[in-house]
Order: sequence, then C-alpha cells, then structure tokens
Amino acid sequence: MKNLLLAILLISISTTSFGQEKLTTTSGHIKFFSTTPVEDIEANNYKVTSYLTPSTGVLVFSVPMQSFEFPKSTMQKHYNSKKFLNTKKFPKGKFKGTITNLSSINFSEDGTYHATVSGELTIHGVTNNVSEKMTLTIKKGTATGVTSFNITLAEFGVVFTKGKPSKNIAKSVLITANLNYVK
Amino acid sequence: MKSKIIKIVLAVIVIAIAYAAYLWFMPHRNIQAVKAFKTIDATELVHEFVTDKEKAYALYLDSDEGESKVLIISGIVAKITKDQLGQYVLLLKKNTEKMGVSCTFTIESNSQVAEILIGDTVKIKGVIRSGAEYDEDLDLIENVIIEKSALITN
Repeated sequence: MKNLLLAILLISISTTSFGQEKLTTTSGHIKFFSTTPVEDIEANNYKVTSYLTPSTGVLVFSVPMQSFEFPKSTMQKHYNSKKFLNTKKFPKGKFKGTITNLSSINFSEDGTYHATVSGELTIHGVTNNVSEKMTLTIKKGTATGVTSFNITLAEFGVVFTKGKPSKNIAKSVLITANLNYVK
Repeated sequence: MKSKIIKIVLAVIVIAIAYAAYLWFMPHRNIQAVKAFKTIDATELVHEFVTDKEKAYALYLDSDEGESKVLIISGIVAKITKDQLGQYVLLLKKNTEKMGVSCTFTIESNSQVAEILIGDTVKIKGVIRSGAEYDEDLDLIENVIIEKSALITN
C-alpha cells in the first residue's frame, strides 16, 4: 500500500513539475548581513533550490536553513538554536511569488532587466508579504537573478527580550540573493 | 583583606576573558572526524523523508545547535556539478528516481571527485542539512542536502 502511494506521488510530481519550461538552480546563494555595536555578522548559504518560469513569471525558492555558515562556530550555534531560528522545527525558509512587470522582460534576448518580484516569504514558520526589486541578467538561455533587501526579525517571530544574544544580534538584517538559473 | 578581594576580582576577570576567548575562537565541528550516525543507501534516505517527513527530521536534525547527524551515504552518481563557491556537488540517485541525495564537497576534498564518473557507485560521508520532499505549495522537488562531504574509500 505504501509503495502504491509512493508511486502515485511520484507520478503526480512528474506531471505537475515539468508541464512548463522552467529555469532552475540547486546552487543559489543567499547571504545575510547584520551589524551591531558589538560585531558584524555575515552568513552564507549556497544550497538554495529555486525556479523561475519565464512564461508566467512565477519565481519560488527554498532555503535549507542549516546550510547558513557563519565565520564563528558560536554564532552558528546561536543561529540554529531554539531561541533564534529553531532550524530543526523550521528546517526550510521559502518564497513563492511572481514577477509583476513580466512584459518588460524579454527572456529570449540577452540583456539586463529590472524586475519587481512580489510574493510571500516564510521564515521561522511565519509568512509575510514582500515586494522587492531584482536585477535579471539573461545570457544565452541562462538567467541570473540578484536582489538585496532588509527584513525585520520581529516580523518573522524572532524576538529577544533579554540575554546576551539580544545585544549581539541586529533587529534587521540585509538579505542578498544570487540565483544562477539554467534550463 | 583588601588584597584578597582584589585577587578574587582579578581571577573572575581572567576567567571571564578566557571563557569569552574560548567562545570566540571555538572551531567549527570537523565533520570528517565525527563518528557517523549510520550508513544508509541514498534511495532509503530519500524514502524515509518522503514517507514520514516529521519522523525523519526528528531523527536526523539537531535541535540545540544545528549540529545534525553525520551520515555515510552510498549511491549511484547521477550528476556532477559545481556550486558558486567552486565546490563539487554529486547527486546520488537512480535513473528512475525523481529525488536524490545532493552531496557537496569542500575546497579541501574537491580533488577526490576528479576521477569519479556518472554511473559510479560511491560512499560519501557528510553532515545532513535538510530532507527530500515534493513541496506541493511551491511545486518544487527538493533533494536531501549533505554538506562537508568526502569520499569513503574502504
């Protein structure tokens, strides 16, 4: 019975995922940076899975939260802990949105385009609407999407009221993404 | 009495500085030096997440400090790529499968991949970061993510 359910699941995946041509990546890069009077903190994640559908403008990505790497081991432990991102309970962050000015982007012509992407960003189990600019560079059938924006941690349920981390962690962090899509 | 108090205060300050230095300079976990939690076939690992995601995450991910399980995964190399850091990424899965196990090497272990070919059967040790799933909301297939990988040759 389990095998039958698995077979049905895999068949449905194959029919729903590949119906429209997508540009995909499994090695997107997301960085976050914050600064406080005590220290600057930067973490990098090179394991972002994402796709962009040129015909519809749909853009999604999924981020394995434990793949963020910090320069200091202690920072990484704080980040993963239950007091902060609780990455065991919330192992993935995700975004689901669309390019709202799709008509101004020609995916069949090499060049640099300015896209506006609107959708829902989920981190730490909390979803918020976001709308950000993204620079899309089209080259020989591939696309690179670069964006940079700030998020407020409290809006995603990450709040400190006391203790050491509250002094060392900024209330807002700068997110930078570099998504390298191929066919 | 006064000098005794000064000595105690100085001792406390030295201990506090030593502790702060210990936290500041604490090295990252050396994944290849950690004893593997288990050896598992790539297909089986994917199957565990697809059939019961909650149970698999409870088993493999760490809840306190993100120091999740170190695994040895065996499987067939289906794809060889490099990430934006130049680290090799080997996808382990059978041709008939939609999802697999993505193993990212390090700059230090990259040279081990030089002679690996698609279709080879390999054993790789690394740390798990997230599980495989089909995210219906995103319409997205995701592989198991393994990082800090190195080949096991014996």
